Parts: sequence; structure tokens; C-alpha cells
Amino acid sequence: MNAQVTPLLEISRLNGGYGAVPVLFGVDLVIHPGEIVALVGNNGAGKTTLLRAISRVITASGGMKFDGEDLLPLTPEQVFARRLVQVPEGRQLFGRMTVEENLLMGANRRGNRAAIARSFDWVYGLLPKLAERRRQLAGNMSGGEQQMCAIARALMAEPRLLMIDEMSLGLAPIIVDQLLAILDTIRKQSVAIFLVEQDVFAAFSVADRGYVMETGRIVQTGTAQELSNDESVRAAYLGAEAGA
Amino acid sequence: MLLAQIIVNGVLLGGLYGLMALGMALVWGVLNIVNLAHGAFVMLGGYIVYYLFTTLGIDPLAALPIAMALMFAFGYLLQYVVLNQIIRSAMLNTLLITFGLDVVLTYLAQLGFSADFRTIAPSYAGANFGLLGITVPVAPLAAFAIAWLLAGLTWLLLNRLPLGRAIRATAQNLVAARLYGVNPRRLYAVTFGIGAALAGASGGLYGMISHLSPYVGAPLTAKAFVIAVIGGLHNPFAVVASGLIIGIAESLAALYVGPTYANVISFGLLVLILVLRPSRALRAA
Repeated sequence: MNAQVTPLLEISRLNGGYGAVPVLFGVDLVIHPGEIVALVGNNGAGKTTLLRAISRVITASGGMKFDGEDLLPLTPEQVFARRLVQVPEGRQLFGRMTVEENLLMGANRRGNRAAIARSFDWVYGLLPKLAERRRQLAGNMSGGEQQMCAIARALMAEPRLLMIDEMSLGLAPIIVDQLLAILDTIRKQSVAIFLVEQDVFAAFSVADRGYVMETGRIVQTGTAQELSNDESVRAAYLGAEAGA
Repeated sequence: MLLAQIIVNGVLLGGLYGLMALGMALVWGVLNIVNLAHGAFVMLGGYIVYYLFTTLGIDPLAALPIAMALMFAFGYLLQYVVLNQIIRSAMLNTLLITFGLDVVLTYLAQLGFSADFRTIAPSYAGANFGLLGITVPVAPLAAFAIAWLLAGLTWLLLNRLPLGRAIRATAQNLVAARLYGVNPRRLYAVTFGIGAALAGASGGLYGMISHLSPYVGAPLTAKAFVIAVIGGLHNPFAVVASGLIIGIAESLAALYVGPTYANVISFGLLVLILVLRPSRALRAA
């Protein structure tokens, strides 16, 4: 939104991968407070790997700061405690626990019961379907409901930056639209959102800015508007004819 | 009347068996470690209570919490320092290392405590009372009650406390648990410590009902394994209840077939399960 503000997440020349296999090559990326930033790219481009590096699940080197603090020496649970929260690919719910217990896991590191109760009110207000299903086992719900539950679990951590990996995967377009509308509401609570998507249409419909990733490198960046109008992006990701 | 008596004996003994299996099932379900040294932990707990009673004069029932605390610390350290190194590797490795641990603990116990049989014998050890013509022995009754009490506490921990929620979450989805603030190394150590503490409690009770020697561990491990497979890994009450099945079956076998055949029952069940439902034994779901 505003380039003058101190970045919330600042990644510079980041390399990373799995053991000896490098996947990310010199990634530069910035997210400001209150922004929705989309990262798009094909399957295997390294998007999920970047999220894993940010959450400190895999090894990485380079520059990575969250609110001015170096993320590299932190463990995953310390990153979570900084309220940098990831909704992982495939939802990864606790399937044999109820919806409510899943949400309580989101509030895992918080002690203030009154504040947790307020978060519950907020999240259930945002996603009333979850309130109906709070006593159900998360694993028994539909894909859309599970994705809602996964987002709600992350919201229970009061994230400052919410990272969502492949939110639209396997969901009906109407459900995706509902979820996108909810993201727009969430951002009004000054939560920055990092949306990692293969569905470029969906991503750019709510994002302020975007990055395009190919084989572990950022190949293009700009406002969502610019990127959706860019010919090479349209050709590669939006299914438009080149030159059309 | 004899049959009723045998069943009462079996039920009381079975509660204790269930308690032995409880710690093993917990560790198995959460860490995916089949702890072959679990019986040795039971043995160690028994000796702790034995020595607290014989040297310091602490009543065995009062010594149980102390034994549990010591065994928790032992289990926590063991997991944190040693077993966490191999927790991600193939199950065969965890079997090998816990088997080795069993051997080491058994022979250290022989060195430290001698191979003599010991019995924890407080004044009430042999006491009993009559009920409807059946003789109810006090010590096994206490063991039975404590087994259910600890199963209830374990259930409360797992289902009502944040720590237990984190334990279940980690068992169900390690990836998500790590992303949501759980430190798996510490959580595994706590869980293994709880398993060892439960083993320690059952050891103290076992020493009051039966005999302790450094070698009691291995058959108890097998028994606990069978009970965990039957009872599943997720419900403490189901584990203790399946302990009752083994207890009753053993008592009946001892009466109708012969006392030396008691062990045949649990091992026979083990073989039967491995032949008929190997997937269940491996998943123990």
C-alpha cells in the first residue's frame, strides 16, 4: 500500500532448499503492514519452499527480517510466537480433533483467556459455519469447511502476517470467492496477508501487489493490476493468447 | 464360587496389566516408538518403591508418586538426549535401540540390586476381606483402583489440558503442530516421561502383588504390547479395559490348564494377532 512504511517482512537474496538440494535462488520480496501480497507460479516453482523457509522449517541463507528482527536463527515455534503464521498447503488440520480444539491449537501460545474468547467471537463471526460445526471432528468436514477451519486456526494466533499456501486448491470457485471475501475482511483488521497461489485469477482479484516465481527465482513483480495486464504473465498463467 | 473368585483375581490383576500398557500405548501412539524397554521401566519403578520402603520406611503407596516423579525425569532425559536423535528414522532403529536399552537396564539392575527376588511387603500386603463369599485381596484391589485412577488422569490430561491437546495434535499432524508453536523435541520428551512415570507406578504395584527381579521386564513388555494392540493407542480407558481381558484370560488358563500356562495366553494372543491382523498390530490404530 504505502512503500514508505517499514516493511513487515523483508526478504533479500534468500537461498534455501532441502538438505543439499537448493530450490530458492536469491529471492527478494517485501510485504508491508496491511498489504495483501500474492506469490504466483507454477507447480514446483518453489512457492511452498519459500513459505517453509520463512516458517524456519527448512534451512535457508540470506536476509530475512520480520518487523526488523532476523528470522534466520529462529525455530518454527519462535516464528509462530512472533505472530507470523502459516496456513500450510493441504490444510493440515488435526483431523481427529474437533473444530474448536483445532482453533485452540491456534491460540496455543496465548495465555489470556479473555483475549482468546474475543478471538473466538471474532473468528466465529467471520466464519459462522464453523460455529455450527465447532463440536465436529475437523477431518469429517468438506474441503471448503476444512479450509475455513485452517484459516480460522491461524487467525486464533492473532497473526500480524498470515501466509496462506494454495488456499483455492481443490475447492469450488464459489467457495474460493467466499474465502477471498473473508480475506478482504481480515485485512481490515490490519493483518497483512501473503497469498501463495497457482490460481492467478483468484490471487490477483484481492492482492495489492504480486510476485511471479519461476524455478526458485522471482522473475516479475508489480501491482496486481500491472501483473494481470502484463502480456507474458497473461500468456503463462491466465490462459490468454500471447499478444491478445 | 471358584470361578467367581478366579474372575475377581483376574480382573484385579488385569487392571494392573492395563496400567503397564497405558504408558506404552501413549508413547507408541504419539512418538511411534514401540518401547521394548517399557517392562524394564516397570522393573525400575518397582525397585524404586522397594528401596524407598525398605530403607526409608516410606509406605509403598506413598512412594508411588515419588517413583513416578523419578521415572518421569528419567524418561524425559532419555528421550531428550538419546531417543530424539533417532525418532525420525525407521521403526527398526527405534526397536533396536529400545531393545538395547532393555538389555542395559536389566543387567545394570542385576549389578545394582542383585538377581534375588524381592517383594514389597507392607503390613497390608497379604490382607484381604470377604465379600459375598469371595475373598478380595487388598493389595491387588488397591492396584486396580490406582490403575483406573491413573487412566482417568491420563484421559483428563489428554482431553482437557493444553499440554494434552498439544500431545494429541502432534500425534495427528506433526507438520501442523510445528507450525503452531509446538516444540516436538520437548513435547516428545514430556510424553516419554509420562509413559515412564506410568510404568514406574505400575512397577511399584507389581512389586506388592508379585516378585521383583531384574528379569521381570521382558515378559511384561510383551504383555503390555498385546494389551496396547487390543486396546488401541488413543483411549486410556480402553487400554486398561483390555488389560482386564488379559488378566481374566490368564487367571482362567491358570485354573483350567495349569498355572505355568498363564503366559501362553498373552503370547498366544500376540501370535494370533500377528497372524490374523498384522496391520492392526503395526498401526495399532
